[in-house]
Amino acid sequence: MEMAVRRDSLTARSCIGWVILVLLVLGQHVGAKEKRPKDAKEQPAGTAASRVQEPNDPNDLWWSRWDVRVKDPNNPMELLTAKWNGVLKVLQAKELEQKLKEKIIDRIVSPMFDFPLMGQLALGRTHWPKLDAAQREKFIRLFVTRLKALYLEKTALYTNEKFVLKPGVPKKNMIQIPMTLISEGKEIVILYKLHKLDEQSKSKALGHWRIYDVEIEGVSILLTYRSQFDDILRRGSVQDLLAQLEKPPSK
Amino acid sequence: MRACLLIMMGIVVGAGCAAGPQTRRNAFGNPASPTRSAGVGRAKELTSTVTPPSDANSPGESALDELEAELTQKQKQVSVPDPLEPVNRFMFGVNDVVYFWVLKPVLRGYVYAVSPEARTGLRNFFHNLATPARLVNCILQGKNAAADVELQRFAINTVVGALGLGDPARDRWELKPAEEDLGQTLAVYGLGDGFYLVWPLLGPSTLRDSVGMLGDAFLDPVRYLQPETLSIGVSATDTTNSMSFRLGEYESLKAATVDPYIAMRDAYLQYRKRQIQNEGGSADPNSLRP
Repeated sequence: MEMAVRRDSLTARSCIGWVILVLLVLGQHVGAKEKRPKDAKEQPAGTAASRVQEPNDPNDLWWSRWDVRVKDPNNPMELLTAKWNGVLKVLQAKELEQKLKEKIIDRIVSPMFDFPLMGQLALGRTHWPKLDAAQREKFIRLFVTRLKALYLEKTALYTNEKFVLKPGVPKKNMIQIPMTLISEGKEIVILYKLHKLDEQSKSKALGHWRIYDVEIEGVSILLTYRSQFDDILRRGSVQDLLAQLEKPPSK
Repeated sequence: MRACLLIMMGIVVGAGCAAGPQTRRNAFGNPASPTRSAGVGRAKELTSTVTPPSDANSPGESALDELEAELTQKQKQVSVPDPLEPVNRFMFGVNDVVYFWVLKPVLRGYVYAVSPEARTGLRNFFHNLATPARLVNCILQGKNAAADVELQRFAINTVVGALGLGDPARDRWELKPAEEDLGQTLAVYGLGDGFYLVWPLLGPSTLRDSVGMLGDAFLDPVRYLQPETLSIGVSATDTTNSMSFRLGEYESLKAATVDPYIAMRDAYLQYRKRQIQNEGGSADPNSLRP
């Protein structure tokens, strides 16, 4: 009896082993397949070009199709809704190539962020003063590149999402607006934190609200960077930080 | 013998982090985890954060101070000691290698072979099966309304949702699960995090959450399947399946961060903090609706 049970469990074990092995081989195969057409696509430029409107247009006419106009940009709810609708439109446009999608989304989304402020807050009061003007400029530039990687590369994963915004809770010159993103039946709760610019720096098209932090499922992006920078600067110098930021992202 | 299951489980945690580290609970749970309407709660909480009376003349400066204070406070709230950092970093590296060399190819094969509908169905099925742990933890935390919702969900999804393959309780009755686990229960009872830990193959955790994970395992019905190999196979299927939804997230985290170890640690701690503070769960009348 015992022997039989043992043999059963042995066959079951080898079954699991085989399944994993098959999936592994299949995965490698799929991976190889995914790579091939990409390389192949670059040669017959005609097909690729016909699918994409190249943004070489000096009059920026191609952009008008994707541009997002906000009626009352000083209303943060309206601003976010309009921008998100614009992004969804791009995500659903099948004729666009991934690279161009990223370019357009970047152009729609990025003006909403107060990148210099984010950089300053990410270093915090303890570390920001250590940087001189040139270093600050360089830091912000590199930091923005990383931040963009966070939301642009992911756009490849999304096509069919819905979002629900809830009116935010204003507090003096700040407001926090919760949003639920529904993707593949999953709900992701995102919290936008915006602050009000002073009168001189507000723009006509975008009003005076700018995002300075985003919380995804309770995880503040700004805080995550802050902890990383803090750790690096505790051990090393500003040069170390800039060098690490300059390195291409670890793969 | 459980090693192969652990491999699978580990990377869930390892992989699930671009949008906040969905904890291993989600290996058993519905990654939908739609109870989180804490946005509002958090907003309320922040409203009460200290506003330092700033004597700076320029309004820009005082605003900056305010934001800085807010961040510093939150950072203090979520920080947990990491005395084992060198060991943890090593384990993080091990998990990284396992993810790219073993898990990712397996997941790719799985995604290729199994249709999205079947994967969603399986995800719902296993989430439904994991009801006992959530229910018990709702009760232990005194969240009776949430416990009630868990019971209703189980009944509806098992009967109407074809043994839990569908989630009509959420889709039609708008009942959302409370993603409670023993780690959170212990936290509600006042137990601190202890210190941060990275388990080989299991990913980020803390001392308290590790204890919780161990306890919750006893309430996992799959654990009691006989023979043991079957139990392991089913668990591995569950984990592979739920991770197949998170393919690409770990890569994205790595691309966006400077020190992925710190980023992962910070994100895990923030995510858990929010889960623990998330009062009311699915019973929250403000639940966001699609």
